[in-house]
Amino acid sequence: MAAAAAAAAAASGSGTPREEDGPAGEAAASQPPAPTTAPGARLSRLPLARVKALVKADPDVTLAGQEAIFILARAAELFVETIAKDAYCCAQQGKRKTLQRRDLDCAVLGLTSAWLELVRCSFTLCFR
Amino acid sequence: MAERPEDLNLPNAVITRIIKEALPDGVNISKEARSAISRAASVFVLYATSCANNFAMKGKRKTLNATDVLSAMEEMEFQRFVTPLKEALEAYRREQKGKKEASEQKKKDKDKKTDSEDQDKSRDEDNDEDEERLEEEEQNEEEEVDN
Repeated sequence: MAAAAAAAAAASGSGTPREEDGPAGEAAASQPPAPTTAPGARLSRLPLARVKALVKADPDVTLAGQEAIFILARAAELFVETIAKDAYCCAQQGKRKTLQRRDLDCAVLGLTSAWLELVRCSFTLCFR
Repeated sequence: MAERPEDLNLPNAVITRIIKEALPDGVNISKEARSAISRAASVFVLYATSCANNFAMKGKRKTLNATDVLSAMEEMEFQRFVTPLKEALEAYRREQKGKKEASEQKKKDKDKKTDSEDQDKSRDEDNDEDEERLEEEEQNEEEEVDN
């Protein structure tokens, strides 16, 4: 991966000559690259293949670009973070430290648009 | 709804990790709640896709692009997502560009395998320095963004 190669290159190129850095360079290459991007810019954790499957499930969609899939994945992550945090507020009001289903209902009620009613119904949806 | 319903679920482990990182330490989540969030995330993607597709069709395009998705976010009243998503898109584009350059470089190196080893080494070191400089520039850009 380019990011790993760049990280290894940065580690080996940081002043010490290349030949001496043999073992250290290998160690740096085997470590996962540390995220150097701003918090909002972190690359998606959700597997793009699964997101792509969801996008393709829509019969009206012809094609979706790679960037679109990536942004959808990242947006879904942000959505999960948002809902979790809102639900936590509701749990705190109930003086609990474990998020429960009712906290999600409470979180969703806090958001107004119509599609969130769809989300609320989806809590009981079974995809199997 | 779809031919293979199990494909519409997002991986539980990843969802759990995202939730845990969004919440302070010591906060737990019931299995039920986690499952509900996972389903909601799937519905979110489905709805966002449909919304984005409307924008694509309005623009008489058959391929969904990133702008369509951003427009969908605004439509769905998630304007707060737009800025972080734009940042993520830029980072993603940089990464893709880096990957492309890396594979092109590999191709060049492969073609020039017949050259002497010394010449290859010095060339690689030059490229490493270029990559370092690029990384530093990126970090500087990101610091500005944070400010």
